[in-house]
Amino acid sequence: MIHKSYRVTGMSCPNCAMSIESIEDELPGIRRLAASYQKGSMEIEYDENLVSESEILAAVQRRGYQAVMN
Amino acid sequence: MDQYILAFVTGLTTGGLSCLAVQGGLLASSLSRQVEADLLAARGSGKGRKPSAKPDQGRLAVSILLFLSAKVVMYTLLGFLLGALGSVLQLNSTARALLLIAIGIFMVGNALRMFDVHPLFRYFVIEPPHFITRYIRRTAKNSTDFVTPLFLGALTVLIPCGVTQAMMAVAVGTGSPLSGALLMLAFTLGTSPVFFAVAYFTMQLGRTMEKWFMRFVAVVVLVLGLVSIDTGLNLAGSPLSVSRLFQDAQTVQASAPVQELPAAGDGTLFLAAQNNGYSPRRLSAPAGTDLVLNVITQDTFSCARAFVIPDLGVEVLLPQNGSTPIEIPAQAAGTVMQFTCSMGMYTGEIVFGQ
Repeated sequence: MIHKSYRVTGMSCPNCAMSIESIEDELPGIRRLAASYQKGSMEIEYDENLVSESEILAAVQRRGYQAVMN
Repeated sequence: MDQYILAFVTGLTTGGLSCLAVQGGLLASSLSRQVEADLLAARGSGKGRKPSAKPDQGRLAVSILLFLSAKVVMYTLLGFLLGALGSVLQLNSTARALLLIAIGIFMVGNALRMFDVHPLFRYFVIEPPHFITRYIRRTAKNSTDFVTPLFLGALTVLIPCGVTQAMMAVAVGTGSPLSGALLMLAFTLGTSPVFFAVAYFTMQLGRTMEKWFMRFVAVVVLVLGLVSIDTGLNLAGSPLSVSRLFQDAQTVQASAPVQELPAAGDGTLFLAAQNNGYSPRRLSAPAGTDLVLNVITQDTFSCARAFVIPDLGVEVLLPQNGSTPIEIPAQAAGTVMQFTCSMGMYTGEIVFGQ
């Protein structure tokens, strides 16, 4: 299990954080994904055997946001 | 009455789309599942069985209406509780003034957040905890029946948008459960047409359009915030509020039609509390002597009836018709005593001379 945190740009309201968190339901292998509009951040815990970091970051990008590792 | 109309118009103009931005995903997610289910049911599993398949529009409308009804009911209840909270706090005019100023700062902070002035302003919006957003999201995802839109509509109370949060703060400021409930009812009803229209026609605001719209919302919230700070200053008896300065300028230019008042006698002053404010706005009084200010009402229904003199701690609810004497202790020459309605909307002053 890998745990990573990122800085996220492009969020304009708490709904954006909810939108990012919905990736949890889209990709297998994500144990926890918590995004915060206030902090402009995202924390993920995922199983590297089931999903890759690039897949997760691509899903963030598809929603219109950019995640950069802290 | 004015504040309910204002709340409704705020909901209609800015609240609807602002709330849609925050809560729309919830509704859309629920509805898209339903539309998908309808289409599948109509088409069957194979190709070409029923070529004219369409989602059931009636069912869609009912779902949206259920969602919105539950939302209206929950926010009205919330308004009731917030108003009750305000009444339990037994706010005097100074505390109400501070609350109004705090609400104003909250709204201005929210507007600056929408303008994305600095990340610090993001703390002016309350972010729901992760477990709540996750619960709501998963409930929305797995729903196709009528109970779910109802349930999800009720859950929107947990994720209010910035404009709604500002309105919730105003509901506390009303200091009455009934007023708080009516205020939130008016606001939520105001948000409903836009919510319904956008959800029903499944239109999406384009990114550019959304950006411009959010700027418009930010300007409105900024103005409302500044108005709130201004009324708070009025209620605190500050002579520096913008509306007071504006009213002073108006008084110099032209005086409003004055209700006929008895001539001021020894130690007696008269003031008319009318539906559109106090007349005259500036009273002259002798210094160094005790006075009685008679406030006269004649078919007065506006908030001018709730008469406040902050410096004396006077708060009186005037009758719709009649004359209410208020004792004013002797004041030094040059004193300017402010008076206002309890909402801080209508103001005036007594100037003590020689």
